[in-house]
Amino acid sequence: MTPRPWLHGFLDLCLLAMLRERPDYGYGLSQRLASAGVADVPGGTLYPALLRLEEQGLATPSWAPSEAGPRRKYYAITDAGRELLDGQADDWRRFRDGVDSLLSASEVPHD
Amino acid sequence: MTDWPSAFEAELLRLGVQPARARRLADDTSQQAAETATAPGEVFGPAHLYARHLVAELSAPVAASPRTKFEAGPVLLSLTGVSKRYRRQTVFTGVDLTVRGGEVAAIVGANGCGKSTLLRICAGLTRPSGGTVKRTRRVGFVPQDGGTAGWLTAEEHFTLFGAAAGMVPGRAQSTGVHLATRLAWRPAAQRVQHMSGGTRQKLNLVLGELHAPDLLLLDEPYQGFDQGTYVDFWQQVFAWRDAGRAVVVVTHLLHDLQNVDHVLDLGER
Amino acid sequence: MTTLVVATLSAREVGRRWAALALVIALPFWFYLVRRDATGQSMRMLTLGIGWAISTLTLFVVNASRSVDPRLRLTGASVLSIIGGRLLAMTGVGVALAAGYWALTWVDQDVLHPWAAALMMLVSAVVAAPLGSLIGALLPRELEGALALFSVVAVQMLADPAGLTAKLMPFWSAREIGTYAVDGGSLDMVGHGLAHAGVTWLICAGGTWAVFQWRLRLARYPEP
Repeated sequence: MTPRPWLHGFLDLCLLAMLRERPDYGYGLSQRLASAGVADVPGGTLYPALLRLEEQGLATPSWAPSEAGPRRKYYAITDAGRELLDGQADDWRRFRDGVDSLLSASEVPHD
Repeated sequence: MTDWPSAFEAELLRLGVQPARARRLADDTSQQAAETATAPGEVFGPAHLYARHLVAELSAPVAASPRTKFEAGPVLLSLTGVSKRYRRQTVFTGVDLTVRGGEVAAIVGANGCGKSTLLRICAGLTRPSGGTVKRTRRVGFVPQDGGTAGWLTAEEHFTLFGAAAGMVPGRAQSTGVHLATRLAWRPAAQRVQHMSGGTRQKLNLVLGELHAPDLLLLDEPYQGFDQGTYVDFWQQVFAWRDAGRAVVVVTHLLHDLQNVDHVLDLGER
Repeated sequence: MTTLVVATLSAREVGRRWAALALVIALPFWFYLVRRDATGQSMRMLTLGIGWAISTLTLFVVNASRSVDPRLRLTGASVLSIIGGRLLAMTGVGVALAAGYWALTWVDQDVLHPWAAALMMLVSAVVAAPLGSLIGALLPRELEGALALFSVVAVQMLADPAGLTAKLMPFWSAREIGTYAVDGGSLDMVGHGLAHAGVTWLICAGGTWAVFQWRLRLARYPEP
């Protein structure tokens, strides 16, 4: 029994990274995740993650009207969020490089 | 039939979320569904399941959950060659176990192989017949059953155990209620003798961690839990681990073992 | 601090066992009522009743917390604060009970030295708490403990007050002070009674402490 599924753990990292690029709202973030080819994250996974970022002071929300339809909750990264992101990004790269090196070492050379 | 946001809010309250916070979460959630121009039920699924999911998610720390880096803390418990004999009967011999901060160890084995005795030795409630035990000072112990006073309520237990740890009553109670929320439990003014087995075990767990121990010793603490609470329990164990604590769990359920760091099988010795 | 919290919660616990509490409060009254016509007899019975009631209640309280105590100890409470808290609560309950019954006898009986009568009941209640806790510490089950206390009180009741057996019983002090209160005589009796009560209290409280100190001992492990 895994406490949270595998991709799920990287979701916080991805969300913080996208918010560092520019503030965004929930649906916009899910589209960016999908178009980056990371994952098609359902609302039931995305919104709790955003709320958690907000409650732990890593992102700060603000309401903005949309052209059509209801107003939207935009999230912007905080300094604490940036700091956490920097640390986790380093962890992630080390982990990724490690996995890469294991994968490439095991690959059968092609002619 | 109630609408989705009200059902959601009611479930949050039932799970022990404070009313103002439940209202805010319900509003937020409706708003989020509106962003995608769909009904909440379609985005989030059934209200009561999403409420439980959200509460669990919000209590977990933000961290790169697939642990890309294994950071074990200092050694909090170490057993070397520990044995226990009663008269001529040997319960176990030569038990070695080292648990560091940020690790979960499971003690498994058939009934009667001394799992609970070993846990009591770890706690210091029973003396080993041989071997060396080293242990951090701050320890929380959750027995398999009992460990509570039938005539007192949950909050009175918080006060009592808090006092033993040097906490003033007000702080002990608010801490207890807060910890109970993480197990989806809102303590009521009910005596322990009238509680269901599962609720009593939740109280037991909260009492074990009320004084924020570095090492938690749990003896099959999930007896009487329903499936949802059982999942909450393991989430809680991993949350403790991620917070740098050491956890030792006695269990006989083998499917619990895939995420723990050490497994000590007393039965096959 | 811990002692006071343990005391408060123990008192609350006793207050909730209202069936046991009602029986225990009523018991000395029946003892009293049987020989209401004879002041000496009724007072002595009443006092023994108070002693039996409080020691039995203390026994219940000590037994009910048997599985909590090791955990309290592990959380950081000292044996003295656990035992002290329980004794404090039960002594308080005992003093209240004694005061109530003293008021009754003060109205209902013509006692030679009312203050000595008060002292007799007080001594009985104060000695009863550690006696109950000692029996509770030695005998693990409520029924066994209650029967043991019953034997003690029965022997006390039936033994020749001048003999050695009576003097070795825990409530001899109350009896001695009671004799002075009802029949008069030398004030030395009060002194002897108080001395006996003091020694009994020390033996029972010390014994309770020793048993619990042993039972709740924690293995001392070095830090890793």
